[in-house]
Amino acid sequence: MKRSIWILMVLALGAIALAQPKVFKSPNPGETPVFGGDFRDWSTDGPKTFNPFVAKETSSTDVMDLFLPTLTGYNPYTLEPEGNLAKSWEVKNKGLTIVFHLRKGAKWSDGQPITADDVIFSAKVHADKKVGSNYIKSFEIDGKPIVWSKIDDYTVQADFPKPFAPALIQSWYIVPKHVFEKAYKAGKVNEMWDVGADPAKIVSGGPFMLDKYVPGERVILKKNPNFWGVDEKGNKLPYLNRYIFTIVKDRNAALAKFLAGELDLYTASDADQIAQIVDRIDSKKLDATIFPNADVTTGTNFIFFNWNNKDQWKARLFRNKKFRVAMAYLMDKDSMIEIALGGLGKPQWSPISIPVKQFFTDDVVKYKYNPKKAAALLAELGFRKKNSAGVLVDASGRPLEFRLATNQGNNTRDKICQLFSEDAKKVGVNVKYAPIAFNELVREILNTRDFDAILIGLTGGIEPAFGRNVWELDGPLHMWNYGPDFESFEILIDKLMKQGATTLEQSKRREIYVRFQQVVAENLPLTYTVAPAYNPARLNKVGGLFAKDQITSIVGQYPYVETVFIKK
Amino acid sequence: MTAYIIRRFFHLIPTFLGATFLAFLIIQLAPGDFVTRLELDPSFNHAQIENLRRIYGLDQPFTVQYAKWLSGFLKGYLGVSLSYQTGVWEVLKPRMLNSMVLVVLSIIFIYSFSIPIGIYSALRQYSWGDRFWTTVAFIGMAIPNFFFALLMLYFALYLKDKFGHEIFPIGGMRSLYIAGMDFSAAPKWRQWLDILWHAVLPVIVAGTAGTAGLTRVMRTQMLENKMQDYVRTARAKGLAERVVVYKHILRNAIIPIVASIGFLLPDLFGGAGFVEVVMGWPGLTPMLLEALFSIDVYIIMGSISVTIVLLMIGNLLSDLLLAWVDPRIRYS
Repeated sequence: MKRSIWILMVLALGAIALAQPKVFKSPNPGETPVFGGDFRDWSTDGPKTFNPFVAKETSSTDVMDLFLPTLTGYNPYTLEPEGNLAKSWEVKNKGLTIVFHLRKGAKWSDGQPITADDVIFSAKVHADKKVGSNYIKSFEIDGKPIVWSKIDDYTVQADFPKPFAPALIQSWYIVPKHVFEKAYKAGKVNEMWDVGADPAKIVSGGPFMLDKYVPGERVILKKNPNFWGVDEKGNKLPYLNRYIFTIVKDRNAALAKFLAGELDLYTASDADQIAQIVDRIDSKKLDATIFPNADVTTGTNFIFFNWNNKDQWKARLFRNKKFRVAMAYLMDKDSMIEIALGGLGKPQWSPISIPVKQFFTDDVVKYKYNPKKAAALLAELGFRKKNSAGVLVDASGRPLEFRLATNQGNNTRDKICQLFSEDAKKVGVNVKYAPIAFNELVREILNTRDFDAILIGLTGGIEPAFGRNVWELDGPLHMWNYGPDFESFEILIDKLMKQGATTLEQSKRREIYVRFQQVVAENLPLTYTVAPAYNPARLNKVGGLFAKDQITSIVGQYPYVETVFIKK
Repeated sequence: MTAYIIRRFFHLIPTFLGATFLAFLIIQLAPGDFVTRLELDPSFNHAQIENLRRIYGLDQPFTVQYAKWLSGFLKGYLGVSLSYQTGVWEVLKPRMLNSMVLVVLSIIFIYSFSIPIGIYSALRQYSWGDRFWTTVAFIGMAIPNFFFALLMLYFALYLKDKFGHEIFPIGGMRSLYIAGMDFSAAPKWRQWLDILWHAVLPVIVAGTAGTAGLTRVMRTQMLENKMQDYVRTARAKGLAERVVVYKHILRNAIIPIVASIGFLLPDLFGGAGFVEVVMGWPGLTPMLLEALFSIDVYIIMGSISVTIVLLMIGNLLSDLLLAWVDPRIRYS
């Protein structure tokens, strides 16, 4: 009897020695972590599915992040590629081949090992056109497939059709093959793991596993005992017992919940919300901390003009750099921050978001608010006289006027547009501003092309190469000009984007993207306006969070959810 | 009577076809579809977007889409939600049940307050009491639902500060724990008690406008009937005032109110409105809003068609109720 226990113990030790857990670095070595506890997060929408091949929005993927593994991701401290399920990798064949080594000993929550078969299977399903996964974009470059193959049980290889700089970021979800294979073969993979599925049957390979989903109300995830991560002292992670999403559709209602101490983290959206939180902290009703203006968000707001306008007069005008510079001189970014963003935010001059420090540069041409220079440039274009309505006219008497649109219901964009059109009217440019429905806006941009100017934003990410659909000449989002005539600077941008996506050396990549930002800022195919502030707040009982100077809007308030804990 | 009901029933068919076709058409007329918002995502290319349209059947002409939807509906199948990729009914059902809790409670709230207040106001017309309730009724009708809900949330927060613990919960429908136990582990009656506790403030918000409106209707009805000749006759006969008011005036005054009960049927399944969004009640409204924003056609159609069917049945029911309470009306 005793002997068998000894044998078991030796076997167990052997298993631990063989295992290759990921070590999660805590942001605050001084803190002593506490095991147990519930983390209470919130979300405006509930998950639509727990199936990564179906998921189309963050309300679903925010939950999947907690229970489905990926090969690699960004290191939250350095923003460089970091292994998740992949322990290490080798770049071969001038960057055309990458071999990923998986962690031995990693297991799904049902006890099955996570192996190369799961990775290859998931890659196959994501890349399958009949499935319609959102991640299909990670499996082709210029329409050519990236080929994934199994070397052995713990080694996979990816072959790229051309060198691809972000090749090390493989952040698509990996699913257990033994659960999904049968459904996939029957052509029913999309019916798996819907919101009605029994949580006990949803297998996890991440730090948490699904415990319960109450539609429209909350998602409860509990600790996955089989998770393959440890802290720096070798303790099994995560620290938390449960991760709870409460679904609160209304931002103000979520704020009320945070003020009542019922949510652990909150991000204040404007100066008014900050004031309410500060007020409550000062009156000692809430033991919390807020960092107003800790960073700016990666979302961008920019104005662009339609160079393919059916009205040739307008098309020529919008294509003229002097005109776009004059319009940039009419954008009072300080007032925009004051009025549209409640005093919190930063002016933006170039396409790469300010928090993306490894590529961002401030060394670009800035056409700061200057109505006199704008008027002078417009005079050079022939707009010297004003008509009886106070609008500038050219030699033929045609008034300088155009329509400006943005999507309805976005307060910030609405105010930016109003400010711009008022400032433009002061120098005699008649900007006719009217917001329209988002889908109508998309239709005008992509299909009908009957707009003059539009203010819109695109979600910014860390990786500039993923913006190629905007910047390359044949990109579907080269929204200001679909050709066939391109200016020389557009061709230069196209070249820089292609170089940036295929250069592997980091310092050279930075040089390329700095040049890219300078060319865009100087020529203004898109004229950037202002970036909203990131104002994170937290209850003081939450540990494992970033200190103030470590916070970025990209990563958020903590580096890893695995090392977040609730102080006793 | 039976013949009448059968005839009415056959009239419902063209109404249903027309209404659902119109709803489908209007959804199609709005620019964009379920895939549109992905088109402005820089990481998608054109071929991928078109592939998604094909998978979801959005590339087919809308008449084909409607015909497919209708043939499914006739078999009792509401289709597959685009965003959930699961049956529409599975998505709608739990939300409808949640909404029903609020709706049933607020209907009880509305009737149990508005009828007595309406009678009181009518019997003491232009008294201070009448004026007070008139003022309350106008405030109740004027205050926007979502704003009132927000006020209630902050009121709950205020109570929590004042007393150090939650008098009313700050949004939501169920607690995470009941007396230290996981919600689902607690006994059923405690679960229901917890839901009722969460429902108090939302019911007040959802019921206020309705109560205010119905109070006014009740008051007007009572006043109108009070002036009738038969009331004078009843008094002249020497009937007790109590009998005059409750047996003669009230019975006639309440006819339109009873008749309107049938119309409550679609309300029961239609969600309690914006109060659900603001107060975090997991009902139909928040889900419908999401479906509208993402143009999840089949969720929208599922909800609309259920409402249409119920509205038609409710209409029929109202007519039958009217015949039952008002002997002057006969269908033949």
